[in-house]
Amino acid sequence: MTGEFNVNIVMPALLAGMLVLSTHVPLGRRVLERGIIFIDLAIAQVAGVGVILADGVGWEAHGWEVQVVAVGAAMIAALGLNLTEKWWPDIQEALIGVLFVLAATASVLLLADNPHGGEHLKDLLVGQILWVDYPQLIPVAIAYALLLACWFGLGTRVPTIGFYLVFAVAITASVQLVGIYLVFSSLILPALATRKLPKRWQLPAAWTIGLLAYLTGIGLSMVFDYPTGAVIVWAMAMLAIAGAWVLPGLLRKA
Amino acid sequence: MTYQTMLKLCSAMVLLASAHAQAVVQVFACEPEWAALAGEIGGSNIKATSATTALQDPHYIQARPSLIAGVRKADLLICSGSGLEDGWLPLLLRKGGNSNIQPGQAGYLMASQYVNRLEIPAVLDRAQGDLHAQGNPHIQTDPRNIALVARVVAERLQQLDPGHAASYREGLAAFEDKWNAAIATWQREAAPLRGKRVVLHHKSWAYLESWLGLEEAATLEAKPGVPPSAAHLNELLVQLKAAPAALIIRAPYQDPKPSEWLTKQTGIPNAALPFTVGGSAEATDLYSLFDATIRILLDTMEPASDR
Repeated sequence: MTGEFNVNIVMPALLAGMLVLSTHVPLGRRVLERGIIFIDLAIAQVAGVGVILADGVGWEAHGWEVQVVAVGAAMIAALGLNLTEKWWPDIQEALIGVLFVLAATASVLLLADNPHGGEHLKDLLVGQILWVDYPQLIPVAIAYALLLACWFGLGTRVPTIGFYLVFAVAITASVQLVGIYLVFSSLILPALATRKLPKRWQLPAAWTIGLLAYLTGIGLSMVFDYPTGAVIVWAMAMLAIAGAWVLPGLLRKA
Repeated sequence: MTYQTMLKLCSAMVLLASAHAQAVVQVFACEPEWAALAGEIGGSNIKATSATTALQDPHYIQARPSLIAGVRKADLLICSGSGLEDGWLPLLLRKGGNSNIQPGQAGYLMASQYVNRLEIPAVLDRAQGDLHAQGNPHIQTDPRNIALVARVVAERLQQLDPGHAASYREGLAAFEDKWNAAIATWQREAAPLRGKRVVLHHKSWAYLESWLGLEEAATLEAKPGVPPSAAHLNELLVQLKAAPAALIIRAPYQDPKPSEWLTKQTGIPNAALPFTVGGSAEATDLYSLFDATIRILLDTMEPASDR
């Protein structure tokens, strides 16, 4: 560590991580159950295409307008995926993959004429957790509180379409805060680590693993000065492995 | 020497060292060339760090804790400006919350504001690609620009650290003597390069071209920041067949594949120029940066046998 360290540097990052975990851990369990693990990549990419398109037709979107366009595009994709799951459930994961490459390459084609849109796409997909500041967290906290109220309020009665829509909003917000790598990890790793646990322990254990990973990752990144997001991903993978190994025995005894 | 005097001496040295550490002006540079320049002028009165290395594209960087910590304790910020760091510097300054280095303060220095910028677009049309509205920001490829910025750096250091003002004035005078002599040497050596045609990977070399009188035959990226299309590459080949160029140039952080492809197609050699301090094994400071640049240009375009 170089010199004295101000906790304020990493406090917003930790809060951002906690916000992301709050929604992504329960959503991730559903994603894993359905075996559609690349859905986050696809939805985020489509949100990006929406913003480039809006920019391309001359609508100079800023601030909240960008968010409306991004969430709108993500929700359209979510509605589409809800239908494909109804019609062709056996190939849903493959279709999600196809949606991802189409959205990713559509952005390349759209950007060929409008490289400034590339800055938007980068802002949207490659959020960096360390750049987060407090004012950015407030709208996300409000949105996530609403999503969680819907999610847990309805309990097991959340219909498939509800899952896809909640997912679209949650992902569009989180990729901008912490980037796609951390979004993917926060969804999948805690869910993977806890899937063998007794039902009532799964969510608390997954949240704990996630939180410990953000704490460890941010701490290591401060000590060794590595890019923060990448260190958190590795910390989470290690903790998930350790958790999957140790927790079942521990909790059975408890 | 008794044990007691040893102890006293040691503690005095420690005290001196810590007092010295306190007094040092912290310079936070966005690119390595400005950290090196501050070092040339400020010597041991300053401590300079760079946010990027020569092997990183200064348009984009990964967020690391030390960058925010560096901005927090900085007394002087030196960046190229003109939009080069727009993707991350505003965020970093906001996160750093250091009022000494905000725009308008003596601690905020955008180097390109103090030189004659090239390629300022007459009309900013977004269809033209990733153009910088304030002109080409890669000013460090002309050593005469570095001399202009050196004066501003010295002024700011005197302003921020008046106790060492004399030392900064001397540092600048010594640097200017040595630097101007070096420029004269480089210009003499590079005289045979005048009028040579070069192909650029990205529009990063406008200032080098205007300094050495190189002629820009074409750019691999039809629009800055956009990968080349098949039609553009085809046009490039036709154009280079009609009017060949002597060299294809890229920066060390740029992908060598496009320029190697073009070399295979046309037989024109390609080279990575160091671009900034640390951009090649030889380019360890500002002097060796230009030594290495001129040497590579001469070696590839004017083989020793023809000289």
